[in-house]
Amino acid sequence: MPAETCIMGLFTDEGKAAKAIADLPAAGFRLRRAHSPIPSRTIQDALKPGKSRVGWFTLAGGILGFFTGFALAIFTAAQWNLIVSGKPIVSLIPFFIVGFEFTILFSVFGNVIGLLVCARLPDYRGLDRYDPRCSGEHFGLLAACESGREGELMDFFQKKGAEVKVFA
Amino acid sequence: MSNLTYAQIDQTVLNTLERPRPPYWVCVALLLGGVLLGAGAWIYQIFTGIGVGGQNIPVAWGTYLINFVFWVGIAHSGTLISAILHLFRAGWRNPIARAAETMTVFAVCCAGLFPFIHLGRVWQVYYMLPIPNQRLLWPNFLSPLMFDVVAISTYLTVSSLFWYTGLLPDLAVVRDRSTGVRHRVFRILSLGWTGAHHQWLNYGRGYLFFAALATPLVISVHSVVSWDFALGIVPGWHTTIFAPYFVAGAIHSGLAMVLTLMIPLRRIFRYEAIITLNVLENVAKTMILTGLIVGLAYGTEYFIAWYSHNPVEWDSFRWRAVGEYAFGLYFMILCNVLLPSLFLFKAVRRSIPWLFALSLVVNFGMWWERFVIIVGGVAHDFAPHAWGLYAPALVEYGIMVGSFSLFFFLFLLFCKHLPSVSMTEMKESVNHAG
Repeated sequence: MPAETCIMGLFTDEGKAAKAIADLPAAGFRLRRAHSPIPSRTIQDALKPGKSRVGWFTLAGGILGFFTGFALAIFTAAQWNLIVSGKPIVSLIPFFIVGFEFTILFSVFGNVIGLLVCARLPDYRGLDRYDPRCSGEHFGLLAACESGREGELMDFFQKKGAEVKVFA
Repeated sequence: MSNLTYAQIDQTVLNTLERPRPPYWVCVALLLGGVLLGAGAWIYQIFTGIGVGGQNIPVAWGTYLINFVFWVGIAHSGTLISAILHLFRAGWRNPIARAAETMTVFAVCCAGLFPFIHLGRVWQVYYMLPIPNQRLLWPNFLSPLMFDVVAISTYLTVSSLFWYTGLLPDLAVVRDRSTGVRHRVFRILSLGWTGAHHQWLNYGRGYLFFAALATPLVISVHSVVSWDFALGIVPGWHTTIFAPYFVAGAIHSGLAMVLTLMIPLRRIFRYEAIITLNVLENVAKTMILTGLIVGLAYGTEYFIAWYSHNPVEWDSFRWRAVGEYAFGLYFMILCNVLLPSLFLFKAVRRSIPWLFALSLVVNFGMWWERFVIIVGGVAHDFAPHAWGLYAPALVEYGIMVGSFSLFFFLFLLFCKHLPSVSMTEMKESVNHAG
């Protein structure tokens, strides 16, 4: 496999960054990552990413929480086995409150796990090929090229109006 | 707001994290003193017994429960601003969302202390946790107090995770513009966030789900708190209006606290270009609505007490208006309904002194509302021979000072160590406006 060099183009205009994303494949380069200080709709449209799968984690957490909440309330009431205020031992209406709160709690746990898994966080190694300006006002496109084509890629970014940063 | 550049937004917020000046440390020291006073009062109570508080039969629920409901209420508007207004795409909430979320987390922490304090024998708290006791009995979830344990702990967990998730991109901004220890700490805290497209895609989705889940949660939590009272048979408590009444009151008091915190924050940190007068005016406009709902609830309570033809219920409400605690009722009507209606006038809504003064008035009034509900209910219930009055004891005042000090102490620490305005959301606002 030929050695690759990663070069980042730093744009101050998200429209120019989006145009560069669209033109990179035609120029024979591979986009590794696009960094932006905000969730940019323009960049996302240019990247055409798939749908986020975080929601499935959230849903799974919610379903698990709903049944866990009900099961816990039913189990604990069954341990007492005492009739309180004339209500049945297993009283679904008050137990719905526990089920509801657990649904929310576990949904949120699922949501956080989904976010960490899908966004691949924590990712401290990602900082090795990253420019701090990308959290400020720059849109950074990290592209890869075969050894020997670095100049072409740098020219490409510069023609698109970007500053260039080369990673070893 | 749209005139600001991304760099100006970052710089304005990052300036707030610079080394604090002596007045800051004076405030921190004073508040820490208040916290220690509260802790000392609590320790004294633990060693001496719960009897050192003013609670006694018939008023067994005094300031501890009043403060519990007050702080849970304060927490609510943070979620309203961060979650509900996010779902409604109300862009004006962006400059205050972070501070409001933080307020929520700290207020729930303060609220969560009071059931522990009220327990007296605090080491027996495990009776409320879903674990078996020494007789292998588990807590029974038929009690509204157990609903409360589940609801409040869920709310604290969800609010904290929501707050931290919202902070992630901003933690990366601080990491990228700091050096030394601060850089290393923020590098860990930001989890290696780089703003890569797959991160934003999933973050946006996750944040939306957070908001969608926090919205029903916030309504359920104060409803559950209201059922602590409404599920009892005490006149004045046993009413189905309590859930919406408590939720509206919670948001009303929370919005007032948002103004109380934001106005000094805006002035001290020179946030005028970010937290504009329009933002504060929108909070005031929302308070007109919540104030009217609260007023409607006060009126409905009285109407239903009269319309029910229940002599005990009606006597309880009559006593509230003419009895020993009548001043509390008039305070709450004046502070929560009548005075906030001054916000109907644009000149009042756009005057910083008026906004600040009325926010304090509403905070004061909402505390009294909880006094009237909680103490007023049990002080004058069914049997005349069991009627009695209540006044907080010195220990209770100490703990109350401690809880307020703790809240402001934590908020003060937050302001100087973490971004108090969401830079990312502000940049998004600018991006959409441009």
